[in-house]
Amino acid sequence: MVGKESFSVRSFRVVTGVMLITWLVLPLIPLAIWSFAKGWFFPDLLPKRWSMQAWDYALSDTSGVLDSLWLTIGISLTATVLSILVGIPAGRALGMYKFKGKELVELMILAPTIVPGIAVVLGIHSVFISMGLNNTVSGVILVHLIPTLPYMILVMSGIFANYDPSFEDQARSLGASPLKTFWYVTLPAIMPGIIVGGLFAFLVSWSQYILTLLIGGGRVVTLPLLLFNFATSGRNDITGAIGMIYILPGIIILLLTAKHLSGRSGAVGGFGQI
Amino acid sequence: MTHVSIKELSKTYPGSSEPALDRLSLEIPTGELTALLGPSGCGKTTTMKMIAGLLDPSSGDVLFDDRSVLDDKPEHRGVVMVFQNYLLFPYMSVADNVGFGLKMRKVPKPEIDRRVGEMLELVKLPDLGNRRPSALSGGQQQRVALARALIVQPNVLLLDEPLSNLDAHLRFEMRDLIRGLQQKMGITTIFVTHDQEEAVVLADKVALILDGQLKQYEDADVFYKRPVDEATARFFGGQNFIPGSSNGSVFESALGRLVLPEGAISGAGKLTVRPENIRINGLDKGENSLKAVVSERLFLGTQTRLRLLVGEEKIDAIANPNEVENLSVGDAVNITLPPSSLWVLPT
Amino acid sequence: MSDRLKIALLLAPALSIIGILFFGGLLIGFMRSFNYMPVIGLVDPDLSAYVAVFTSKEFYLSFLLTFHIAFTSTVISSILAIGAALLLRRTFIGRSLINFLFQLNLTVPHLVGAIGMLYLFSQSGSFARLGAEWNLISKPSDFPAMVFDPYAIGIILQYIWKEVPFIGVIVLANMQSLGEDYESVARSLGASKWQAFIHVLMPLIFPGVLSASVIVFAFTFGAYEIPAILGASFPKALPVLAYQKYTDVDLAARPEAMAMAITIALLSALMIYFYVRYTRRRIRS
Repeated sequence: MVGKESFSVRSFRVVTGVMLITWLVLPLIPLAIWSFAKGWFFPDLLPKRWSMQAWDYALSDTSGVLDSLWLTIGISLTATVLSILVGIPAGRALGMYKFKGKELVELMILAPTIVPGIAVVLGIHSVFISMGLNNTVSGVILVHLIPTLPYMILVMSGIFANYDPSFEDQARSLGASPLKTFWYVTLPAIMPGIIVGGLFAFLVSWSQYILTLLIGGGRVVTLPLLLFNFATSGRNDITGAIGMIYILPGIIILLLTAKHLSGRSGAVGGFGQI
Repeated sequence: MTHVSIKELSKTYPGSSEPALDRLSLEIPTGELTALLGPSGCGKTTTMKMIAGLLDPSSGDVLFDDRSVLDDKPEHRGVVMVFQNYLLFPYMSVADNVGFGLKMRKVPKPEIDRRVGEMLELVKLPDLGNRRPSALSGGQQQRVALARALIVQPNVLLLDEPLSNLDAHLRFEMRDLIRGLQQKMGITTIFVTHDQEEAVVLADKVALILDGQLKQYEDADVFYKRPVDEATARFFGGQNFIPGSSNGSVFESALGRLVLPEGAISGAGKLTVRPENIRINGLDKGENSLKAVVSERLFLGTQTRLRLLVGEEKIDAIANPNEVENLSVGDAVNITLPPSSLWVLPT
Repeated sequence: MSDRLKIALLLAPALSIIGILFFGGLLIGFMRSFNYMPVIGLVDPDLSAYVAVFTSKEFYLSFLLTFHIAFTSTVISSILAIGAALLLRRTFIGRSLINFLFQLNLTVPHLVGAIGMLYLFSQSGSFARLGAEWNLISKPSDFPAMVFDPYAIGIILQYIWKEVPFIGVIVLANMQSLGEDYESVARSLGASKWQAFIHVLMPLIFPGVLSASVIVFAFTFGAYEIPAILGASFPKALPVLAYQKYTDVDLAARPEAMAMAITIALLSALMIYFYVRYTRRRIRS
């Protein structure tokens, strides 16, 4: 700490800290309250009556919210697994080798992290129509790879840049087959990257809206689409309940991995897409 | 120009129960070059930061010419600290780095340019002003860091491990440069180091800090001849600690009666003799001569280490390889422990 | 196996996916924006879609609005994020809570934030109710329009809510890995706290701030669902307008939508240029 700190400096810090905390949680509060409200009219600061109706509805078999939840989990998990499978070899190439055209390859991989989905999805949509991928879950999964894959590759190339391949040579010279070497030597070493990159990929896919809307064509209704529909149709109580369900995986992931999610990782840019 | 007094200075970091520095008191006379010596983590850098005003002490005081400076902001203390890893601002040219302190004082640009030129001349880097720090070697970066500090004409200069990142031949060059500039400009200079050789080579006086406390503060050679205790002696490479008792002039122990130099303490204690001061000579049967048997012999190129047995007592000695060429394990030798090389440590 | 072949094989799956989906999508959009699509018999490219887009007042208003949203959100978020990072760098009561909330906020999708803003700032929202409670307003319409408004205040507030933690986390990590020694050097060379901040800390964290800002700018320029929830019906944000044109019953409007998408892509290409210039080293290390 540089120099002496006066009382006023310290109180300024505490005051701004309190304001920051308030601001950070503020938008989530009405959402949470709405989910338990039974009618909440202007100018009441809090609902006059509370109820579990919205939750009962959201968790019932008939509303389709749970179906949508499982569908969203399925899409995000598949996109994550595909990203991992494709991202590991690409990350290895970028992290461990120098080659001609590497800068171009890096640029190609970075581009989807900057170019917004709306700019590419219109073109994809008109091709997917002819391929029969429109309005299908597979089409949605494929198109989710555009934002998820780059972050997976960035994380893995960071991991492989600090990875010593002599361990693999050592294992081979001790008699391990290439497959066993990968399983017992490479995989444990890159596991932290797979976990962090995978969580990012999952959350990025989880938060996709416009890609799903256009490619899913209203047939593939993931949780954000459902949430959007309820929000714009004025059902605030159900919106609140779905909103709470929708942010849950992120919170769980955060609680599991808070220490990995430092801004030092190049992957933190992935948060810009959520 | 500035006499620095440190009075009972202590620092306990928040969340820690052990003090990083425990009631350190030191007087550093005007214009002297003093080393704070100690193993890493002993509170040296903490002390420097507190002198520079970059860290608040938990208790105690820092005075410049008998005036407390604790309430002075770091930029007004007239103290400049040079960090171990130089910390040249990477986005600035060498010249902008050197001129930084003057720019902060709003010195006019032409004068900054002139003084930066002079300063780069002084540290023997006249042509490198336009380079980026990253294009310089470690030794050059060190000199730029020194120039950046000296250009503001500080009253007190603080150096953190100034020689430790340099290789052997650069160390002596840098030592001469630092000593030369320091004496020319008369700046009271304090540097910290964990390396006793670096301390001895560069400093007028050495303050040894062990476990957050000042052990001894003297001219460098005293640490070799008259250390205050066994820990101090060991830190300076001392060996051979033989228990016994002293009457002030003679030490009685398993080695027999040995004549002591003047000033030795009385009572129970440990006798110490540095291995390089033991004379191994078959003919010398003068004062403090002992019969010994060679039990181990280790040739190290420029020196030969011998382990000798005097009765049951082991004594380590270092000798010129040529002089002990014919000795082998099991041989009997006469060794001499000159009284001036002995010292008694309290137990 | 030669290294070149190995590298090619390692990269092949990733580059095919990104190449076909991303660059393919861009290319098709590009072609269709010129009414050129040989497979469906359109063989004479023309500029009609661009002419239609660039002569329509709605497009310019949309573009200006979108630029205003992206620019204002990015600048305010960056400044507040630097402030927040400076705050979080020091230990004080509540720091770990803010740190946690920052990270929590990062995982909450923009869509949820947008709905939250709607419930906070609409004319019957929480702040309006608070105004009524304190007798500042008597009916909802007395409350200033902060959502569906021409200045996109609600949209910008939502982006600030999401992006301050995003940029803040990056800047904070940047500051923590720099440590405080550079500033200490500056202080000991005679710089005041303010001078050390302006002349030393800011230049050191600038590349990090810039690269995060580029991501934020590109995202806020191209996001759909946030302006769709919080935006006014006229003018619409560019992505909303493009989507509307694309899904218009009149199929002739599709090339116009493509032209808008390409405009957004070109602007992002400019962003990529900055991003690569300032972040390549960070990614490699």
